[in-house]
Amino acid sequence: MKLVIDEGRCKGCNLCTMVCPYRIFQPGTILNRRGIVVPVLDRPERCTNCRLQKLHGRTLCGMCQMICPDQAVRWDEERLFERHRMAIEF
Amino acid sequence: MTFLEWFRADRLPHIYCTGCGNGTVINCTLSAVDELGWDPDRCVFISGIGCSSRAPGYIITDSLHTTHGRALAFATGVKMADPTLHVVVFTGDGDLAAIGGNHFIHACRRNIDLTVVCMNNQIYGMTGGQGSPTTPVGGISTTTPYGSAEPAFDLCALAVAAGANYVTRWTTYHVKELTKAVHAGLTHPGLSFIEVFVQCPTNYGRRNRFKQVSDQIEFLKTHSMIRQKAERIRGEGGQVKDGTIEIGEFVKRSRPAMGVVK
Repeated sequence: MKLVIDEGRCKGCNLCTMVCPYRIFQPGTILNRRGIVVPVLDRPERCTNCRLQKLHGRTLCGMCQMICPDQAVRWDEERLFERHRMAIEF
Repeated sequence: MTFLEWFRADRLPHIYCTGCGNGTVINCTLSAVDELGWDPDRCVFISGIGCSSRAPGYIITDSLHTTHGRALAFATGVKMADPTLHVVVFTGDGDLAAIGGNHFIHACRRNIDLTVVCMNNQIYGMTGGQGSPTTPVGGISTTTPYGSAEPAFDLCALAVAAGANYVTRWTTYHVKELTKAVHAGLTHPGLSFIEVFVQCPTNYGRRNRFKQVSDQIEFLKTHSMIRQKAERIRGEGGQVKDGTIEIGEFVKRSRPAMGVVK
């Protein structure tokens, strides 16, 4: 699973940057086509939900998705053989 | 099925301002409804007039968008006509506390099997930021430019006194607790009243020194206190700071309820 921000729905309130325990969401800097500064994802592969959602069969943390007033955060199914990035934290 | 599938995808993004907490409350309510696994055809979402009351328009179930303050009266009618329906009322503070106050206390007194989710943004957001009955003392709005002088309405205390079966209060910061509270309210027979403190960045926040949406969420986070803790402090002779939002479950009882299918 991968974390996705829907740019068509996001209104740039930056509430997700406040609640994420891993600080994956960071305030963006670039205006998009709709004139909204959408948060950027900092190494989204660290998200527990991306890694463990399937294993546990439920949404684990999901704070960003619940607090997002515009329903813009979701986890998408990855395509087959999609390139992965790994993040190892010490 | 996740709660996102309960939204009408073609209607999104919704009309609410950037950072408005109403979207969060809809997320939590739909998440609780989704956990219960109810059939969308057997659920009805009812609302009155106001920002909060636009919520049922974004949900796939049948809905009623009724006159100002009369959402509970219509909900009573729906529930009495078919008690097997699951009726949820979305309402705001202006809708429930100001114009619909009498409907609210009598719905609590009759204890009809409804779930009332009140999105309390402490202001009339849709009409331009006038002071509402729940604007806190000192809160600046367009009709109270020097700060509100009147004490605010405590809706939960009103619901407890009027006889609702389940009364709880949370804020938009406490999303997990709010989801659990809505879940408990939906399953508990009798009128369940869930008050949610919602941020209104456009009309309340910008006049009350909350420059960012996150500032207001931070305020809700730091100024809320679990009710039991506040009572313990009072019991020990201490003082709870003015303006503290007491959150948590106020009452859970089983008075005889109306409209419950035996």
